[in-house]
Amino acid sequence: MNIRAGSRSPGLRNALARLPEGGLERQAIEAGEIDAVIDYGSANVILFPAAQRALRIAARRASAEGLEAAFEAPVANSVLAALPRADYQRLLPGLEPVTLKFGEVLHEPGAPIRHVYFPVDCVVCLLTRTEGQRTIETGLVGYEGMVGIVLALGVALSPVRTLVQAGGTALRMSAACFDSELQRCPQLQRELYRYACVEMAQARQAVACVASHVFEQRLACWLLMTSDRLKSPEIQLTQKCLGTILDVRRVSVTLASGSLQSRNLIRYCRGKIRIVDRRGLEAASCACYSSIEALHMT
Amino acid sequence: MSRRARKPRVPAEGFTTVVMLRLYVAGDAPNSLQAIANLEAICAEYLKNGHKLEIVDVLENPRRAMAEGVLVTPSLIKLSPQPPAQMIGNLSDKLRVLLALGLKPSVE
Repeated sequence: MNIRAGSRSPGLRNALARLPEGGLERQAIEAGEIDAVIDYGSANVILFPAAQRALRIAARRASAEGLEAAFEAPVANSVLAALPRADYQRLLPGLEPVTLKFGEVLHEPGAPIRHVYFPVDCVVCLLTRTEGQRTIETGLVGYEGMVGIVLALGVALSPVRTLVQAGGTALRMSAACFDSELQRCPQLQRELYRYACVEMAQARQAVACVASHVFEQRLACWLLMTSDRLKSPEIQLTQKCLGTILDVRRVSVTLASGSLQSRNLIRYCRGKIRIVDRRGLEAASCACYSSIEALHMT
Repeated sequence: MSRRARKPRVPAEGFTTVVMLRLYVAGDAPNSLQAIANLEAICAEYLKNGHKLEIVDVLENPRRAMAEGVLVTPSLIKLSPQPPAQMIGNLSDKLRVLLALGLKPSVE
């Protein structure tokens, strides 16, 4: 029997040759009602060309729908969310979702920036070296910003150590891809220049804060800022880590957090800090908190 | 012909025996999709809730088809009630499917 379909593929031809002569299978193939032949020799399924084409089209459609769903998903990073839809869609292939772990160092001071990060639900702190290995926190980046902003200003080396202070998801883009996208997309440029200004002002405010406010006020400010970026009243951090980030002795952290706790503003238990009275903590914080948050509104 | 032989074997109404069916398909290939649609329409019309249908995708599980001696897809196998039967193709010939499933008398 001459079988029309699939005579092009040798695998299919061999599998068809093994079908019983005059059987129902051959009749159904003649009628064009068969999609695939099972090759018992290789335990493979060999598709007829028409079925192969249909499955390819279905797979392409499914992948396009998946991509469409990604475009439709709410953009969880404010910098990306501010972009026009067409620009955001063009950026998407270059963005890779990554999970950042607590304590991970993304950039070292003086080292080239290989990736920029758009945090989604993680918080990254920017640490400036003081002396030796001692550092002090001069910026916090969460869903509202981007880690590696100096790359947007044409500087390829990181001026700060960027440390993941609360683990979570971020969208990562390679430095090369970021560079070309920045050239192509004026809206991304504008958005990042605006954010760079915010980050610089935040650093200036941090310097002023360290110079003029007592640690308890600074701690209250820092807790509020971190909680805002986490979108959660609970922060997982040990007193030792807090001391390292804010460059104070651990005993100072214990005293300040003890004082805030005694006023029922926070609750501290086993490496977890929970803000229980947000308004009270805002009152206990220095004016830097409202100044920094006002910067993000601009 | 005896009285028993003239009686339709399975009437459309009042069906009580559960018919177990297994349909081998190749993913979303056109004949496979058509076979699923045709079979579901036949089951809805003639078997109502009196059937169990398992659809096996040979692209995911070719060895199951081999274990049952299936050579091509789509292939429908009636597992029960006895006797077992097999139908090959997209099941567009309703009468042949009904005959194979024992839902129509072999002599009208």
